[in-house]
Amino acid sequence: MARPVPTDLGHYFSIFFFETKDHLCQLNIMVSVINSIDTAHEDMIHDAQLDYYGTKLATCSSDRTIKIFDVKGGQQTLVSELRGHEGPVWQLTWAHPMFGSILASCGYDRKVVIWKENNGSWGKLYEYLSHDSSVNSVQFASQEFGLILACGSSDGSISIISSSGDGTWDAKKITNAHTIGCNAVSWAPAVSPSALFDLSGRSQPTKRLVSGGCDNLVKIWREEDGKWIEDKKLEGHSDWVRDVAWAPSIGLPTSIIASCSQDFRVIIWTNDGSSNEWNSQLLHKFNDVVWHLSWSITGNILACSGGDNKVSLWKENLEGQWMCISDVNKGQGQITDGQRSSS
Amino acid sequence: MGGGGRRQLEVGRRERLGGGRRERDRGEKERSREFQVLVTLCVKLKELLRKGLDLALKSLDYLSCAVLLFQASAMAVDCLGKWTVLAGRKLLSLVDLEDSHLKLHRNPRQSKWDISCVQWNPHPSHANLFVTASNQKLDVFSWQDTGINHQSSIRGHSRTVSDVSWSPFDVNIIASCSVDALINLWDIRDTKKPSSSFQTVAGASQVKWNRMTNNLFATTHEGDVRIWDTRVGLVLAYKVPHSSRLEIHVKGNSPLHYIAAHISKIHGLDWSHTSESNLATSSQDGSIKFWDITNPRQCKGTLTAGLPVWRARYTPFGQGLVTVVVPQLRRGDNVLYLWDTNHNAPVHQFVGHNDVILEFQWRKLQENSKDFQLVTWSKDQTLRIWKIDPSLQKKCGHDVGDISDSSENEMTLPVFTSQSSEEAEKVQAELERQMSLSPDNYQGQQPRSLQQEFELINTEIPNIRVEELDLEKRMCKVVAMTKSGSASIGLVMKFPENYPFGSAPAFEFQEQNINIGVKQRLHRVLSDTALRHLKRKNNCLEPCLRQLSNALEFPMNPEERRTPESEMPYPFPSVTSKMSQSSYHMHSYMDLNIPFPRTSGAKFCAAGYLVVFGRAQEAQKGPSGTDFTPKSLSELVEYSSKMRMRTVPVIKQQNFLPFQFAQSPPKTVESVTIKEWYYRGQFKGKRGRSKEQNDSRSKEQEKKPHLSSVKIFDIFTVLPINRQLGQKYIINVDDIPAMCSHNAKVAESMGRKDLVRVYDVQTLAMLCCVFWDRRDAVPVKPRTQSTPIDHTPQNESSLLTEAMAGPVADKAVATLTPGLISHVTSPPILPSPMTFLHSQLTEVSSHPNLAALAGVLKMRRSNSWSCLEDSFEDYRFEDDGVNVKEKEAEREQRQHDNNCRMLDPSGQHQYDQFLHSYSDILFHWGLKNQSAQVLKFANSGRESHKGIEFGVKCHYCGQNVRGAYCGCCKNLAFNCVICHTGVKGLVNFCLSCGHGGHTSHLMEWFKTESVCPTGCGCTCALADYSLIYDTS
Repeated sequence: MARPVPTDLGHYFSIFFFETKDHLCQLNIMVSVINSIDTAHEDMIHDAQLDYYGTKLATCSSDRTIKIFDVKGGQQTLVSELRGHEGPVWQLTWAHPMFGSILASCGYDRKVVIWKENNGSWGKLYEYLSHDSSVNSVQFASQEFGLILACGSSDGSISIISSSGDGTWDAKKITNAHTIGCNAVSWAPAVSPSALFDLSGRSQPTKRLVSGGCDNLVKIWREEDGKWIEDKKLEGHSDWVRDVAWAPSIGLPTSIIASCSQDFRVIIWTNDGSSNEWNSQLLHKFNDVVWHLSWSITGNILACSGGDNKVSLWKENLEGQWMCISDVNKGQGQITDGQRSSS
Repeated sequence: MGGGGRRQLEVGRRERLGGGRRERDRGEKERSREFQVLVTLCVKLKELLRKGLDLALKSLDYLSCAVLLFQASAMAVDCLGKWTVLAGRKLLSLVDLEDSHLKLHRNPRQSKWDISCVQWNPHPSHANLFVTASNQKLDVFSWQDTGINHQSSIRGHSRTVSDVSWSPFDVNIIASCSVDALINLWDIRDTKKPSSSFQTVAGASQVKWNRMTNNLFATTHEGDVRIWDTRVGLVLAYKVPHSSRLEIHVKGNSPLHYIAAHISKIHGLDWSHTSESNLATSSQDGSIKFWDITNPRQCKGTLTAGLPVWRARYTPFGQGLVTVVVPQLRRGDNVLYLWDTNHNAPVHQFVGHNDVILEFQWRKLQENSKDFQLVTWSKDQTLRIWKIDPSLQKKCGHDVGDISDSSENEMTLPVFTSQSSEEAEKVQAELERQMSLSPDNYQGQQPRSLQQEFELINTEIPNIRVEELDLEKRMCKVVAMTKSGSASIGLVMKFPENYPFGSAPAFEFQEQNINIGVKQRLHRVLSDTALRHLKRKNNCLEPCLRQLSNALEFPMNPEERRTPESEMPYPFPSVTSKMSQSSYHMHSYMDLNIPFPRTSGAKFCAAGYLVVFGRAQEAQKGPSGTDFTPKSLSELVEYSSKMRMRTVPVIKQQNFLPFQFAQSPPKTVESVTIKEWYYRGQFKGKRGRSKEQNDSRSKEQEKKPHLSSVKIFDIFTVLPINRQLGQKYIINVDDIPAMCSHNAKVAESMGRKDLVRVYDVQTLAMLCCVFWDRRDAVPVKPRTQSTPIDHTPQNESSLLTEAMAGPVADKAVATLTPGLISHVTSPPILPSPMTFLHSQLTEVSSHPNLAALAGVLKMRRSNSWSCLEDSFEDYRFEDDGVNVKEKEAEREQRQHDNNCRMLDPSGQHQYDQFLHSYSDILFHWGLKNQSAQVLKFANSGRESHKGIEFGVKCHYCGQNVRGAYCGCCKNLAFNCVICHTGVKGLVNFCLSCGHGGHTSHLMEWFKTESVCPTGCGCTCALADYSLIYDTS
């Protein structure tokens, strides 16, 4: 699909809607659909992820399958269909390409499966079966830490599975991380928090991750001497936390975490890097559950999606206010004016 | 009757299957006449058969057989062992087991529903009560001599009741379970509503109370078992959720334990008679599994029956188990199997029924018998009573005392009546002996002697190794390992002389180094366990060891308990591999806690793509116009059961195999997918048209759902970074003006004027590349410095205004920029390279990046100016030392160095971070060359070399040398041991003695030799390199 050349470079607002006939997006010129893939899943899709280079798309569904499409250059070829889960597959995550073409999935059947491509054919690399209930979230850590996967399950625990490199996998479990259940996990970027103040900069960054669960809490975990300990407990939501996302870092000392919840709220948690204090800021209260958050690669745009089938993009302005840059109700001009006046 | 004394009576009566009104109107007289004729016929027939089959029948095990000739789907034996109730669709009959003719009392009933199950009250005080379940209703009947009285009906289930169980501890409490996913407890005195209700998300097929402990019962749901505690349910009922609309879930109590037992449906469940935590499950998958609810994740044992097992029940003695195959199979397997739970093969088969066995139950041990009796009811419409004589009991590990007098005889010995007085005496004597042996008259409860206990102990206990069982010293030695295997504890158990009868064993821990608190805790646990079991007249060795094993599962002290488990036990392979085969239906376990799945989402992927998936337009919202999305998956199930109830009427089942409907819910609960949640609501909303049309439409729709596609968006324009720019930007520190103008042209050609105001990672990284020179000692390129450019304040201020006029920078950069310059506190040294740059930049002022760049530089500079006073203040603060002047000079020097650089060195790590981030983004784009180029400017390599490094000591002067030449004496540092000249190229050397030289020379040498050419005695070719690795 041709990339429209933007005419007005002062604006970069877009509208994401699912209500048009094509049930996806009504766009303004700035954001273009480059590919639209008919997955042919027989049931609802629960996750879709592009790999590191943006050339392969993996989707997972209630029909118990995972499909991998080659989307390079606008094509959409089904490369493989992975079967192995015995229930709906909830989430996927790609590993960094330095480990090979590796995908991990988790599902209702309490399994975490790590898949690997070998000479074009996909197969199971490892299956992790130590959870007692649905595994709701998986994410590979930043490649600096190695091939490490975190999984959050409805049995309340978080597993950290790491490859030792020789084909064996070690698992550590944070039991009872969230009473009732853990709904989401997200790794902190591989920036050692102290490194910004430490001129030597040689210290290995600490592994940290954030999780959210049915106890309405967001918890930050830190690995210390091979053990995972709770670093911080963030209270702010009044219902189940559905997703958490740790913003990628481009080297700034500030850490940012976004969390969304069944209480329709999205909260941004910030830490200035000098203490273990986290400030919360309400991003927005939506009209339905918000169940997925995603940060752009530079960590300055947040995509929120939820039960109302809508996606909105948010960006922080200089005053520290989070602005929706894709909401139809806020006219482009308005925001533009706002931005101009603030400068 | 024939020899052998076996008495067999047959009572038969045909019931017309046609079932018309006229038949029912027939008088009782007519019936009894017909009955008598039939009886005589049958008796005669049997007598004839007897004569021919006398010999064969001798080997049969059954005591009595009654041919009843009517259909009944359920059977139960009362707790006194006197009555058996047989329940069918048209008849409720009672059979007197004590009557030698197995007298039958018939009570016709009229219902279109079969009776799915029947159970007597297990309490002797109310032994005349029994409960039946038929369709959605429970009926309580009482039996008097005059007949059966209907006491009350209990209605509380919305679908077929699949099982009932009368509490063995409370005479008034009945548990019932149903396909409607409810488990209700009823008090028969108040049947209006259940006394407690437990909600699950899957229909239950069996409910059974624990025989040993009050309040505990188990239910089966497809392949899963749930263990419930009645008290837990009540507490949970008070839990109020956060959202008002979820109140409906409050009822949902969570089970105490959950066992993912089988991979297919569980047909039967039975609690152990002797242990409160053990139960057995039998399943469609052809296996019988044993479980200990204290460790629900691990199966204690499996018996493989091959065929789907309908029921498995523990024997009330020993460790036996009786099973039958699933009746629906009708494969001619009409045999009742008796197993010893420790052996994977039946120890006995009870052959005799001509059709499949529908039900079997234990009869209470008769007072003057030592044979256990089993009552079976088969599809062949016969009721049989089987005896399990002591020899069989022994096969099941039951200690029956001395049975020396010919167990073979026992088999054929008549137990009841018509025996010679001699035989009767023998039996009586035997009985007395047995009674005297066992102090407890409850079957199977007498403790085993220590010898037997040692023989029978199952040493397969996790974490426990039994080291020694010494019968003479009456002691047992075990080693218990902690879960991680990191610590072990030795335990010695000493059994006093009167051990199984009253005295508990003494426990002694061997290790002295374990924490005294831990020791006390373990000791307390063990003593408690021992006493509890001895009180019940059970042996306690194995329970104690299991308890120890369990206790060690927990962290050793409370402090450790807080920290997350560092070592995950590797999943037990056998169990988990089986689990993996099982198919998980929707809503099988704890769906209450599982969040409702996402059906739409947007995810930033790779660098610059947004992947969006969602529902189609027609699936915007849930059903019935609800405005919210459900919270948990269980709401889906609830909705689905509601929908089903409304749309699918319960199918009438007539003339089916009577039991089929009854005891097992014939179909699994329909699974409703998330898809249906969204799509069904749509059709419900449109329900203006005819129903059929609607249904067919919805079916069609369900088959081919309209699912939305996944879309990938290019969002480079929204992001402050750009792939094309990344690709085309060049970095050339030797010719910065050229680089700048090139990059400006690139940006312009991409139409990215907006980059003017974006101080993003791309720009920052570029800036870092240019201005952060890692050759730290060298100030700045001489070329720049040599350019004579006058710096004028006007110049600077104009720059400043220009920058300020530009749109506001990103927050990130705004916070960053002061960070970059905050350490510059001294007056700048002029002329700085920046001014040079500025003059160059004016030529390409249209370039946004350059303006941005200039902005950064200028801000830094302006800051420097304004910091003039501050620096003096700083100075004053430091002004407490003696050598002020020297310090000042030093500081000036340092600041001079810093100022000669464009960026402050204290931010070095941060710059590296920018570079790394940018390089990572470039890598995302597949621009590997560019990525590597950017990374070259990074100051700190990601990883410093770890591992062995070899150094060379100069051959001549002994200095440590890196490289070929010695830095000290300028000679080639490494001498070849063969040719005695210095080596410049490839060197090979022995890791042991350190001698080596030219590769070609050494290869030549070691073709024939294995010792060092220097004659140092080292056998280089065979050297043990472990030395190296050790020292490393």
